[in-house]
Amino acid sequence: MVSETNAAEIERRRAEEAEAESAEIDRTPVRTYWQLVRQRFMKHRLAVFGVIVLIVLAAYAIVVPFVTGDDWRQTQLFRDDAPPELFNEDGEFTFAILGYNENGQNLFARLGKATQTSLTIGLAAVVIIVVIGIFIGSIAGYLGGWMDNLLMRFVDIMLSLPALFVILMITAFFGQGNVWVIVLAIGLTGWTTAARLVRAEFLSLRDVDYVQAARALGAPPQRIILRHMLPPAMAPIVVAATLGIADSVVVESALSFLGFGIGGESASLGTMLQNAQNYFFSGPLKVVYPGTVLILIVLSASFLGDGLRDALDPRQRVEK
Amino acid sequence: MATYILRRTLQAIPILFGVALVSFAIIQLSPGSPIDRFRTPNVRPETLENLVRLYGLDKPIPEQFVSWITAFVQFWRDDAWGYSLVDGRSVRDTIVDRMPATLLLGGTALLVTIVLAVPIGILAAVRQYSWADKAITTFATIGYAIPSFLLGLYIAYVGTVIFRGAFPSFGMISLTGEGRGTPLDVAWHMVLPVTSLAIQQIAGWSRYVRAKMLEVLNQDYVRTAKAKGLSAAKVTYKHALRNALIPIVTLFGLTLPGLLSGAVITESIFSWPGLGLLGLTAVQNRDYPVVLAFVMVGGFGVVLGNLLADVLYGVVDPRIKY
Repeated sequence: MVSETNAAEIERRRAEEAEAESAEIDRTPVRTYWQLVRQRFMKHRLAVFGVIVLIVLAAYAIVVPFVTGDDWRQTQLFRDDAPPELFNEDGEFTFAILGYNENGQNLFARLGKATQTSLTIGLAAVVIIVVIGIFIGSIAGYLGGWMDNLLMRFVDIMLSLPALFVILMITAFFGQGNVWVIVLAIGLTGWTTAARLVRAEFLSLRDVDYVQAARALGAPPQRIILRHMLPPAMAPIVVAATLGIADSVVVESALSFLGFGIGGESASLGTMLQNAQNYFFSGPLKVVYPGTVLILIVLSASFLGDGLRDALDPRQRVEK
Repeated sequence: MATYILRRTLQAIPILFGVALVSFAIIQLSPGSPIDRFRTPNVRPETLENLVRLYGLDKPIPEQFVSWITAFVQFWRDDAWGYSLVDGRSVRDTIVDRMPATLLLGGTALLVTIVLAVPIGILAAVRQYSWADKAITTFATIGYAIPSFLLGLYIAYVGTVIFRGAFPSFGMISLTGEGRGTPLDVAWHMVLPVTSLAIQQIAGWSRYVRAKMLEVLNQDYVRTAKAKGLSAAKVTYKHALRNALIPIVTLFGLTLPGLLSGAVITESIFSWPGLGLLGLTAVQNRDYPVVLAFVMVGGFGVVLGNLLADVLYGVVDPRIKY
């Protein structure tokens, strides 16, 4: 009788122990790097907000100028400073949700075109920044020695130049209002941070075992750089590029605002703001619209950069 | 210490030389010539040729660079930095004339920044995650994200429209009126530009002070101070604060270039007659001697700021040895 209850008791305890043991085993499925990146990213609410805002702005910049065609520069008769309207007197849909400016130009269409111009210039400049940064940084970091010294002194010189002023100089002296001159001016002055980042990554990767193994196997430098060292160094580059978009858009707008950037009849966020300066009293909203778009671009890009920094870092852990 | 300063000063020379080389190269590469401004139908070709010879533009480019740079370093001479192509004044004198306005604006903004940003940053760190901290962090993030020209524009808007012109958004002294040019008049004109410069700097500085303060508050010696029964105020303001403020000298070094070469954008929005505005108009007019001098002053500011930050760091932090 007693032994029977004991046996049942032992049986029960064994089952309990087994259960406890199995509970200790982590049954969450194995997650790949990119799944982890996505999970970490989605936890970063501001970064998700940034992505959504950037996608909306990009869609606005692509779709609206496409749909409204020439409306952004077409001056409508008797529409100067007209309030928002959806249909004109002929009953046609006008997209004039934000009203018209002093020239009778559709502000919603104009803002779309301006966002397109500014974002395009920002992206193009970032491409140049990243390409030059990777090129100079990888040479300096991979070769080291006197080459590294020389290139880094060059970076020091570039950092000692008053950057905005040099950009003003280049745009003013090499063809004012030319989009490509602006892109080049921003790109050629902005690569120093990217180069320093890449160099630092390469210096730490240079003596890592698998890179030495590749070298011992006789891999040529360009293969080691492109296949073995660049991929693990990509995360900080992506983050720097994201933040660089914000910087480039701001510099472009500042240039256009000061009258050195996009000129003539074309629209950028900076020219719209410059123009709006003259209508403080009659149309204060003209300052608000392009300004808001600009702030949204900068904020979202920096949130996105922060989120990517945390998400791409393999040392960061995701709690269940 | 003295040898360190000397070594750093010597290291600065090749950098400044590089700055000179790059700015000279940009001007050489750009299309057009300094004598283009004299090219009108009424000017005879011989006159233009004489001008080319007068300015030394017929000499090889390396020789032009050497003669410019050797003249440039002799800053005690009146003609060292050349003469403006627009008004014919000595460039050095023009820059010296404009410097006080720039220093006044930047210095006041820096003072306001330090007075406000340090307490704000400390408050955010001491009450971490409180509503005050969150409000400060939000303000700092937004203040940091607003481009300086947009902020200046909004401040000018607030001054002229919302305050109905209570604060001027143009120039340094009143054009007419009784108190024209008095210190009070200048201070009145400084309100808006200083606000716009300071908001940006406060945003950056307060974040920095907060981060440094948090770093120090989590250190062992702070816990020891708390453990031996010191009051919270004493721990925070006597033990932690002093160490947290050390890295501020770095920020000071970073701000100095802006003080010397002026805030181009802010000065342009508020028509402040400082160096930044001078540089901007010089670029617009292709006034090459002024443009080159401005870039050199800017480069000098950066180099000096870095040097000052490193030396000051050694002065305030006894752990640093040279």
